[in-house]
Amino acid sequence: MHTSRRLTPFLFVLPLLALLAFVFGYPLVRIFEFSFKMVRGIDGPWIGVRNYELVLGQPLFWESVTHNLMLLLAIPVMVVVALLISIVLYERVQGWKIYRVVLFLPFVLAVPIIAVVLKKMFQFSGPVNQVLHWLSLDFLALDWIGSTDVALWTVILVIIWRESALGIILFLARLLSLDESLLEAARIEGANWWQRVWYVILPQMKGVIEFFVVVSIITMLAAVFAYIYMIGGGRGGPGTSTWVLELYIFNALIRTSLPGIASAVAVMVFVVSILLIFPLFAARRRAREEEMD
Amino acid sequence: MTRDKARRYPITRRGLLQGSAALGAGAALGGLMPSLSRAQDASLTMWWWGEQELPGLKAFVDDSVANYTGATVNTMLQDTAVVISQFQTAAAAGEAPDMQYFWNGIYHMESVWFGYAQPVNGLVSDDLLTATNPTLLSNYDGNVYRVGWYPIPMVWYYNKELFNKAGLNADSPPLTWDELLDACDKLKSAGIAPIGGGIQDGYWGEWYLGHALPQNLDSTGEALDLFIGDRSFREPKYHEHWTRLQELRDLGFLNKDMSSLELYPGIDLIVAGELAMGESIGTRLPADSAATGGQIGCMVMPVYGSGKMAGIPILDVQGIGISTDSENPQAAAAFLEYLHTPERLQAFWDATGWIPSNTNFDDSIIADETVRTMWQNWGLSANIPYVANLTPGQFYEQALIPAGQQVVEGTLTGEEAGDLAARVVEEWRSFNPDLVEKYQKWATDLT
Repeated sequence: MHTSRRLTPFLFVLPLLALLAFVFGYPLVRIFEFSFKMVRGIDGPWIGVRNYELVLGQPLFWESVTHNLMLLLAIPVMVVVALLISIVLYERVQGWKIYRVVLFLPFVLAVPIIAVVLKKMFQFSGPVNQVLHWLSLDFLALDWIGSTDVALWTVILVIIWRESALGIILFLARLLSLDESLLEAARIEGANWWQRVWYVILPQMKGVIEFFVVVSIITMLAAVFAYIYMIGGGRGGPGTSTWVLELYIFNALIRTSLPGIASAVAVMVFVVSILLIFPLFAARRRAREEEMD
Repeated sequence: MTRDKARRYPITRRGLLQGSAALGAGAALGGLMPSLSRAQDASLTMWWWGEQELPGLKAFVDDSVANYTGATVNTMLQDTAVVISQFQTAAAAGEAPDMQYFWNGIYHMESVWFGYAQPVNGLVSDDLLTATNPTLLSNYDGNVYRVGWYPIPMVWYYNKELFNKAGLNADSPPLTWDELLDACDKLKSAGIAPIGGGIQDGYWGEWYLGHALPQNLDSTGEALDLFIGDRSFREPKYHEHWTRLQELRDLGFLNKDMSSLELYPGIDLIVAGELAMGESIGTRLPADSAATGGQIGCMVMPVYGSGKMAGIPILDVQGIGISTDSENPQAAAAFLEYLHTPERLQAFWDATGWIPSNTNFDDSIIADETVRTMWQNWGLSANIPYVANLTPGQFYEQALIPAGQQVVEGTLTGEEAGDLAARVVEEWRSFNPDLVEKYQKWATDLT
């Protein structure tokens, strides 16, 4: 009787678990399986860890990893930008509600739309360089998307611009839930703006900042394909200067008919992402606890 | 018209139906009536692509299907990204369509090697195969795997008005490399961007290899030798095309925004009179010629190489094949033959404004002299296949595209591009030991 009562909740969720297992579990198992096979078409012979050996021995794979890691450099910038803007908005500058909507717009727009527009703007003969020439800043008029030295930085710039919007909204939501009496007390005690931010606001936002950082890390490692595809001409170019792991997987799977190789890289990205999900959950818990306090 | 068709194509739709009826009668005697009903009510599926590059093709397909009485044909227009993978996945699951659109070369040969496509020789008449010119790249092990559908002449555009402005003879575009450099010099002196286009999406680099690599080749199979290891891109003659591109860049002849422009906007520069020369494809010519009042000329890439394939027009052809899974390949072949009846060839032109791949097409209907001359030179005269279609996907993505972009940008020399290409070929062989064997066989067939 007691045992059956304990099992009852699990029985209720069983259909959903079965559905999830089918939708996510089955493909996942197949991806793991494919990563150990030389897949041609939809199956192939077992080849052990050969796919992993080939991938790990290829310079292009490591170049892609390096580019993913370079994208992480965007995160501190995104955090600072989002924090500054959200705090300024929190100060309720005139029209702050309109600014809030405008600042969140990039995040609402689909990446391909943004990328197409920005790509036009960043062309060598595009509006960005025309403005720079007009301002006599010729030395800054770079080949933003056509130079191997610059293209990845252009992608980073676009990512910062769009992804910071999420940070702004998250941070602003947290700020609006702060106990204003603490800030008022600090103000009465003579704390200046910077001291109020540093000693009162930021300590209370630690959880939400951590959350944003972890989400952003996962984004940089496993969710930048649309940016790269659109800005890198669909090829990770110029040259291989904007190749990232997702493009590597896409190319292996779709363009070079190597599902086994694509699966091996997908498994590696999956494992890294899973490892990052634990701190994500911890950060979410901390953020929730802070809000409760 | 019907009699003409019957004379030209030995296996006609009517003949097929008559044969089917005879078989059905025999089957009925054997108590196999269900077979009879299948033969009489043939149902076919065709997955195709092409509306994306040739607007009007869907109208033609729909019209053809509606007017065809030999079978019910269900068609599906495929998305560009999945043309190959969708077919291969379906074929592996035993659910491939009867007819499948096939890009040329490796883009369908891989499916052949997997056993997903069957030879079309023996199913369609030899005359039709010859007339539709599926090109040499559809041949493997003595068989042909596609029927040609519509041609893609690979041309170089030049703007006659800009040639005239620079004091060049617009009726006599450069034929040799030295003449090209001389023309570029004059154009540059006249303040005109001489040559280039847009390489940001990489396709320009693919087209460039397709135009330039054959200049040092004696046969199509020689290009395949570069992948099986018998020859190497490190040998100067096999990376000379990139060295020549480097030369154009070093001399300042390429348009400055080439690295940040995509392929088609780059071609648009020539049409707009902002760039004198560059790569293009014949399918654009009717519209571009009309837009410029006949100011666009077509030329073959000027010759620098000493191979037997140098200086010959390049013709690529899109085609349709028949899957191994097809339960009624004869009916599929009959439909493909129907698409090439004189009436359908005319309908193709009417719907798309472009030429069907069939030497029997009456080109007197082409009003634009530039377009007709181009078709006669690229489609009806001696031509060579487009060797870029021989490159394995891994080489294409990791060497061909990056090398072209980096040579244009100036971060790679021609020699370094050859080294990159050779290294990626070695990687490809490690990743695809099974395909290397097929390439070896294919190289023998194409040599």
